[in-house]
Amino acid sequence: MKFLQTFSVARRTIFLSLGFMMVLSVVRLITNANDITSSGTISSTLRVATPILLAGLAGLWAERVGIVNIGIEGMMIIGTWFGGYGAWKWGSWAGIALAIFAGSLVGLLHALATVRFNVNHVVSGIAINILAAGATEYLSIIFFKGQKGGGESQSPTGKGGYGEFDMPFLTGGRVGSWRSPDILGWIERKHDLPLLPDLAGFARGLLSDVYVPTLLAIALVPLTGYILWRTRFGLRLRSSGESPQAGESLGVPINRLRYQAMAVSGGLAGFAGAYLSCVFTSTYRQGQTGGQGYIGLATTIFGNWNPFGVLRGAILFGFPTALKFRDEKNVPALLLVVAIVLVVVAIISFTRQKQILAMGLLFGSALSATTYFLVDEVPQEFVAATPYIVTILVLVGAQQQLRPPAHAGAAYRAGENH
Amino acid sequence: MSENSESRSGPLAVELHGISKSFPGVIANHSIELMVRSGTIHAIVGENGAGKSTLMKTLYGMHQPDAGTITVNGQQIQFRNPTEAIAAGIGMVHQHFMLADNLTIIENIILGAEPTDNRGRINFGAARERIEALMTSLGATFDPGTNVSELGVGQRQRVEILKVLYRGAKILILDEPTAVLVPQEVEELFETLKRLVLDGSTVIFISHKLDEVLTYCDEITVMRQGTTVAHTTPTQVDRRTLAQLMVGSDLPDPSGRETKVGEDIRLQVLGLNVASEIPGAKLALQDINVTVHSGEIVGIAGVEGNGQFELCEAILGLRPKLSGTISVDGSELSGSDTRTRREMGLSYIAFDRHREGLLLDAPLWENTFLGREENAALTNGPFISRGKIEADCRSIIKRFGVLTPSEHVPAFALSGGNQQKLVVGREMASDPKILLAAHPTRGVDVGAQAAIWDELRHARDNGLGVLLISADLEELIGLSDRILVMFDGHITAELDPNTATPEMLGTYMTGGEIVTSL
Repeated sequence: MKFLQTFSVARRTIFLSLGFMMVLSVVRLITNANDITSSGTISSTLRVATPILLAGLAGLWAERVGIVNIGIEGMMIIGTWFGGYGAWKWGSWAGIALAIFAGSLVGLLHALATVRFNVNHVVSGIAINILAAGATEYLSIIFFKGQKGGGESQSPTGKGGYGEFDMPFLTGGRVGSWRSPDILGWIERKHDLPLLPDLAGFARGLLSDVYVPTLLAIALVPLTGYILWRTRFGLRLRSSGESPQAGESLGVPINRLRYQAMAVSGGLAGFAGAYLSCVFTSTYRQGQTGGQGYIGLATTIFGNWNPFGVLRGAILFGFPTALKFRDEKNVPALLLVVAIVLVVVAIISFTRQKQILAMGLLFGSALSATTYFLVDEVPQEFVAATPYIVTILVLVGAQQQLRPPAHAGAAYRAGENH
Repeated sequence: MSENSESRSGPLAVELHGISKSFPGVIANHSIELMVRSGTIHAIVGENGAGKSTLMKTLYGMHQPDAGTITVNGQQIQFRNPTEAIAAGIGMVHQHFMLADNLTIIENIILGAEPTDNRGRINFGAARERIEALMTSLGATFDPGTNVSELGVGQRQRVEILKVLYRGAKILILDEPTAVLVPQEVEELFETLKRLVLDGSTVIFISHKLDEVLTYCDEITVMRQGTTVAHTTPTQVDRRTLAQLMVGSDLPDPSGRETKVGEDIRLQVLGLNVASEIPGAKLALQDINVTVHSGEIVGIAGVEGNGQFELCEAILGLRPKLSGTISVDGSELSGSDTRTRREMGLSYIAFDRHREGLLLDAPLWENTFLGREENAALTNGPFISRGKIEADCRSIIKRFGVLTPSEHVPAFALSGGNQQKLVVGREMASDPKILLAAHPTRGVDVGAQAAIWDELRHARDNGLGVLLISADLEELIGLSDRILVMFDGHITAELDPNTATPEMLGTYMTGGEIVTSL
């Protein structure tokens, strides 16, 4: 059953994470870089990963219905602006709601262009990106310029107001006014033990100081899985992305589904944008998205159009970024992590009779291990590029069997099946 | 064939009376009379363009007739759309499958008619139960939880039938269902259909393959030029009369030659061995020796999958050989790529025109240019010359009688026969020395068949050597100067078409031996 397959990806994700934790634990013991598995790193990974996750889900909803959404970046930009505006006027939650609404409208615009007027999906998406960048700048001049703290390229500081979440007993959350003990925090500080503090750090990172919008975003992963693989609406939506002719011949309203899915996709991208301007920071700034919409779309693809795969991709990307944000001294340790991961993947490739790939991976592993042992200080540019390099390496190593929705991006006109 | 009182007894599932339908400029159907008895397999035969599909679309509610009445199970009905036809118990299995590869069999079947609770959640358990029950009645054995992408053509067709049955259809229309099937699958399909009929369904079967119609169907209605011309049963007609009813005139005959086979050796294959795609399996081709002279047609008989495809690919250089030599006009081909081989005078009518022969979405002029990009007559230096190519395409269209409004329409807009004529025309246009013709008239109507045969004969008389691979034994016997039989990667027999019979060929093709006292 398709649905079970979806969750088998979830199981594999857990399995992979455990393996990865072990690698990290070993590296931590070798390098004494205790921060690489600290709860702080994990929770900041979550924060960095959330907008990418949302953008990835936006891509998933669009491509599953058969529309390639290059415009996610633009929809995110719209989301950052309206998030900033809403947060300034009424508070963060209003900002998020407004951004979701605005993002949906842009999603519908993309649907109008691609479904109604059969514009090439990529062309329409790029147009939306350009339009969004221009429109937000224009809106900023009208609404933010001259306001206290605002300007042509940024909004006044927004009102806060989304909640944070701490798990009682495990991470020191409050029960009433009493502060419960922080058990995980205690284990985490036992740095001499292998694996245990790493797992504790991981769990504590997931359960303490978590923004409620992050929890919402994570909840969207199984929810997406449920809707797309369990409900009538979801099956029809996926049929539109696989073979709209088949759906049409059975009376499925393909075009209507495409509008609906694009509204969801745009809303998710808007949420991703608002996360940047009202949760991660409290102001809208021009260029705040920094290409995260594209990275999100990449996680759609490398996550094999599966919500759990997207989650995995987002975290994979978020982790090195978070490490870099926290302390650049963590980056050399990351090199050692890469070296070990590449060896593991090389062994797997070798058993799958892919000798050439395995050799290449071993070479890459040797290279990054040597760099770690020879170089004391990593150049600044390399630090900035590390997250991207790690992402690419791991994705190359992963060598998944990617299977896109068969009809994504293809032109379709109702009633023209041949 | 006149009316037959016996075949007119029993309750009628479908009765069409005086149906006419015209499209702007064309009368597609006029004064149709069709009576389908309940619980039978009823064949509708006719050439491509005889109006079979238009008629079935009328019955399925895809469009409305201009005149006439439709009666289903004794009740006169008008269908505004397929949904109403489905509600009346009529289901249609389209010629081109409408399946989503990445969805499971269950998902494909229930799509649009999902069993759900009131919150829109699909009850997969109930769906599976229902589908498995239907599968048992069909004799299908796949797991409905697998993806359709893992199914073969025959199984996909079964899924299409299940889709229709799942919606409660009792009258099934199958539009040329065997066009895409190999012989074993055809047999399985008819077994399935017989089970359905025993369970009380009625099958309307559109085809132009007379053999299967005569073997498996209960009654036959013949269509010609937009109307029904005869109603008969397999016991009352033979293949020849039925074909004449379809065409309205005498049948074309593949045989006949006045010229002699030439002396020059055009194609010589010596000791060819080719490995199988599956590692460790036995050789796909083993010690193959074939010689084709100028002006000679050498037929290759064999059940599909016995090495014919591999032989063509090896000759074309698409598949590596283990050992042996292949030469055209005396020059060895080893080491030369496919393009060089084609420039040396090899031409190829591919096994599957949709997969290998044509770009279906591309216009005809691009299709006739395919594989001839180096032809100086069609290019201006490094640039292609669209004017020359279009003129060339028009001449192919004219010479081979391809029915098309212009050279600008996409290839998918043509009927199968016309597509095939275009492919044959393209392959002949470069004046080849050797033509590898795989099933040159497969899925083609009688008129197009005659035209293609004429061209092959004509080219042969002008010195072309042809390696003819065909499943149509009459075509093989009629056209060939020699027939080789392939079985299991070997050439197992060489026969003289003057003495060979289809029965003899059949025995050799299935690995049998014939003891002769020659």
